[in-house]
Amino acid sequence: MVTLITEDFWDQGSFVATSLGMPDIPRVRLPHPIAGLGEEKIGLIAEEVIEDILDSFENV
Amino acid sequence: MFDFLTAENEESALEQLHDLGCTDGLPVIIPTVERVTKSILATGLDGDMVLGVLGPLMGVATVEKVAAAAVMAGCKPDYMPLLVAAVKAVAQPEFDLSELQATTHCTAPLIIVNGAARNTCGPVASGYGALGPGHRANASIGRALRLCLINIGGGRPGISDMALHGHPGKFTYCLAEAEEESPFPPMHTSLGFDESDSVVTVLGCEAPHSCLYSDNADDPEDAEKLLHILSVGLTNIATNNAIFASGMALVCLGPKHANVLARSGHTRESIQKRLWELTHLSKADHIRFGGEFGKHFIDDPDGEYPAFKAQEHILVMVAGGVGLYSMVMPNWGGAGHQNSAVSMKVEADFFCEIPGLGGA
Repeated sequence: MVTLITEDFWDQGSFVATSLGMPDIPRVRLPHPIAGLGEEKIGLIAEEVIEDILDSFENV
Repeated sequence: MFDFLTAENEESALEQLHDLGCTDGLPVIIPTVERVTKSILATGLDGDMVLGVLGPLMGVATVEKVAAAAVMAGCKPDYMPLLVAAVKAVAQPEFDLSELQATTHCTAPLIIVNGAARNTCGPVASGYGALGPGHRANASIGRALRLCLINIGGGRPGISDMALHGHPGKFTYCLAEAEEESPFPPMHTSLGFDESDSVVTVLGCEAPHSCLYSDNADDPEDAEKLLHILSVGLTNIATNNAIFASGMALVCLGPKHANVLARSGHTRESIQKRLWELTHLSKADHIRFGGEFGKHFIDDPDGEYPAFKAQEHILVMVAGGVGLYSMVMPNWGGAGHQNSAVSMKVEADFFCEIPGLGGA
């Protein structure tokens, strides 16, 4: 499992992961906000983070 | 037991609590052992008794921790049974507390008190300005629940409480139903409780929105016009309930408006039914204005959809002064249980009166 978290929610993600006993759950950082950017920009972001996502799976 | 903090005096203790993020930003009463012990004693319960687990921190809410929050908020020990019931209520899974604390939406637990405990554990105001300043029980009970959500549940703005704007009800949000002024049976009887019970109902909801209606007893459409006004205030395409087509909401009728509806033959249940009908909205508007959420009806774009899944999801109570206004409180509805309202019977059987206590 890997979680995708936007920049502004990074601390919240860490907080919740710790409180739920999963402090090391793989996380990949996305820019904020992500909603409403349109398909083209979402695609560009996806290209930027795809390697990080794949690396997270390999490191599990 | 707590890890005890130490300070040279109350002033430095207050600064320490502020620095630790343990307050709501306002000064608090220092929760000394003596003060907290009095509030625990007032409950008649064991200080270690667990009332629930509060997310997102998943902190264990014991009577002792809740009593500390009560002291900090300025509660009299008399208020403890209401606060205990409220904490137990928000800890129920149906309330979706972790998600409610974490969401970007502006939502806070509103505490509604019904039954004799409005007076025996208060008085909790239900009339003029009940949601405003000047009512100690309303102000401090709601504030104590917030301090529990901060210090036990871990709700910290910008870290774990991601509400983009918040709302003033996140400081305190508590009132009683004006049962004596209401033409309807008390709200808790509609929720399955006996009239002799005292009940706390919590609903995570937005700040109150005012609905103005100038009634006219000579108008045969008076009640229907009022219900239309309330439905517009309650659910328009800008609300979460309308966009998510889920969740619950509260209609807080002013006593005058309640009587407009009662004299036309309405009951609480018929009001809920008519409001549910009137909060059916255009699918075309949902598709047009709903953004990513607007895809829900894209394959079936004609006609209307209900903003609420059931009429019971629109709570109706009576409170406030006598005049031309009622209030509506939409909610978020985005979590697993749609942020349902939860009602909890107030257990005051073990309550102990502490002689000579005028407060914290």
